[in-house]
Amino acid sequence: MRLRQNLTIRQKHILWAWGLLALPVIFYVVIRFYPTGNAILLSFQNWNLLGDRTWAGAENYIKLWHDDVFWKVFRNTFVYLLLGTPISLVISFLIAFHLDRVRFMHGFIRMLYFLPFMTSAVAMAWVWRWFYQPVPVGIFNNILASFGIPQINFLNSTTNALPAVLAPAVWAGLGFQVIIFMAGLRAIPQSYYEAARIDGVSGFTILTQITIPLLKPTIIFITVFSSIGFLRIFDHVFNMTTNNPGGPLNSTKPLVLMIYDTAFNGFNMGYAAAQTVVLFTVLLCVSLLQLYLLRDR
Amino acid sequence: MSSLTLSDLRKSYGKTEVLKGIDLEIASGEFIVFVGPSGCGKSTTLRLIAGLEDVSVGEINIGGRVVNNLEPRDRDIAMVFQNYAIYPHMTVKKNIAFGLRTSKLSKPEKEARIREVVQILDMEDLLDRRPNQLSGGQRQRVAIGRAMVRNPAVFLFDEPLSNLDAQLRTQMRLEIKKLHQRIQNTVVFVTHDQVEAMTMADRIVIMKDGHIQQVGTPEELYRNPVNIFVAQFIGAPSMNMLSASVRDGRVMLGDMALPISAANLAEGMPLKAGLRPDDLMLNPADPLLEGHVTLREPLGPETLLYVETTLGEVILRAPGKNPPEVGEVVKMGALAENIHLFDALTGEVVK
Repeated sequence: MRLRQNLTIRQKHILWAWGLLALPVIFYVVIRFYPTGNAILLSFQNWNLLGDRTWAGAENYIKLWHDDVFWKVFRNTFVYLLLGTPISLVISFLIAFHLDRVRFMHGFIRMLYFLPFMTSAVAMAWVWRWFYQPVPVGIFNNILASFGIPQINFLNSTTNALPAVLAPAVWAGLGFQVIIFMAGLRAIPQSYYEAARIDGVSGFTILTQITIPLLKPTIIFITVFSSIGFLRIFDHVFNMTTNNPGGPLNSTKPLVLMIYDTAFNGFNMGYAAAQTVVLFTVLLCVSLLQLYLLRDR
Repeated sequence: MSSLTLSDLRKSYGKTEVLKGIDLEIASGEFIVFVGPSGCGKSTTLRLIAGLEDVSVGEINIGGRVVNNLEPRDRDIAMVFQNYAIYPHMTVKKNIAFGLRTSKLSKPEKEARIREVVQILDMEDLLDRRPNQLSGGQRQRVAIGRAMVRNPAVFLFDEPLSNLDAQLRTQMRLEIKKLHQRIQNTVVFVTHDQVEAMTMADRIVIMKDGHIQQVGTPEELYRNPVNIFVAQFIGAPSMNMLSASVRDGRVMLGDMALPISAANLAEGMPLKAGLRPDDLMLNPADPLLEGHVTLREPLGPETLLYVETTLGEVILRAPGKNPPEVGEVVKMGALAENIHLFDALTGEVVK
């Protein structure tokens, strides 16, 4: 007790803060940092999950560099990112922008947009698989057929499969992004718009000169958040291509699925760890790059 | 230069009528202040003039044109908002230039116009700053600059000083008044602060519950309030209101007869006698009231005395030097011309 009384207020605050932080810090060290370090270590070793770990040096990384499947998968991952993030950003902004003006059944419509975000990816993927079936089962092909347009092979084509898998992934994330965008829009004081109305500027000017610049923090958050999501895409792909995960011919396979395959089908833990380290580095670089590009000048 | 006329202006939101028929003529170049408690409809009136809200009934006429169905930009007005509404991501110069985006002036003309405004407001050094690098008063000036640059017929101010601290408010009050004397545009200024209204206005419009209570110069409103509300709203501290009645053909304040004729007042009529703290005299020849001092508020040049009388508490403005002590019994009186009489039931003035 004497000891506590001798501390300054500031020292007591620090003591309290560390006392409260101790549990999450321990948790993070055990659950996050230790496995991360271990994975980096493992990427320089060979291990089949049962035997001993043996040193491999840079062998796993060299193998990765010469692996055609890895480069295919690497490209796929970036296609998911470069298509998914801008498309979901634009769509969710448009929805939020217009939903913000709708008074009629506002809460209900917002709930409808948010529903997919709460739905399990497995259930959603199976429903979309069903949508994508040929006539007479799949709804999309049925619609095309009723207009006399030729059938589209969604999931069995190497060119169409990736966008077809991406669509439900974008759709699933929209609800969340719409909510965040609406919160951002609501935070802009109404008087900015009233002042602009008195100045008589066009709706386009208001959008590009006022709304979007003021939404910048929201846009940064959603961009980084959804980029990380698309770089780590797995469950949608896995569930929509269960017969041949990542297929056809690896055309939809993202990096996380390749890691999963290598680790739990090939039992090549060291190689999988090397891929994980690459994914980690890519995520880090992309996030830092975005924060740098969108920083407040 | 343009005049502004409001005829039977009404505004309802659903079934709630917030403006119940406003009739007002504002001359060109006049500085009009709308004042009243919150919810009285003063800001609504301003927003109707600006075109930010639709008129339910009535007519707004600016410079001889009915503008009811015109977009805000076509009304030849500019508005300064309570939170300034200057864009945080634009420099001061861009903010001011934003008001000219739709104008048909050529680029050099616009530049010249901006330079002129910046000079008047003394902001040459601030042009490249962002709003977050400005003080409250400087932001206020940017907001005024953005309005001025459009050279509108009518300036609308929506409580522009209420976000400033007391000292800055006094300073900006002077600046706005000086600016008006210089550019001579018509100004409609909304505030809830009666001191702002008194100090700035050519004419004050006092509102309550969607009605205009009284329109007049600050002097008129102070000297001849038409009802109890106006009497107590204007002037600080408020006018003392004491119950009075008509007995035996005389106006009686307690046991004292007031030196006022009760010629056209009904016997037994309940009245309120209004006495401004400034008009009450200490220990006069013919006192009307007596009581003991319960509290003193020294303000330097003067001291406010709170005096407990048999008719209720009375506030009195006494000299700053040697005022009566707390507990001391004082006598008070007032000149007949400084006593206001109101009908206690309707609140309307009877003298």
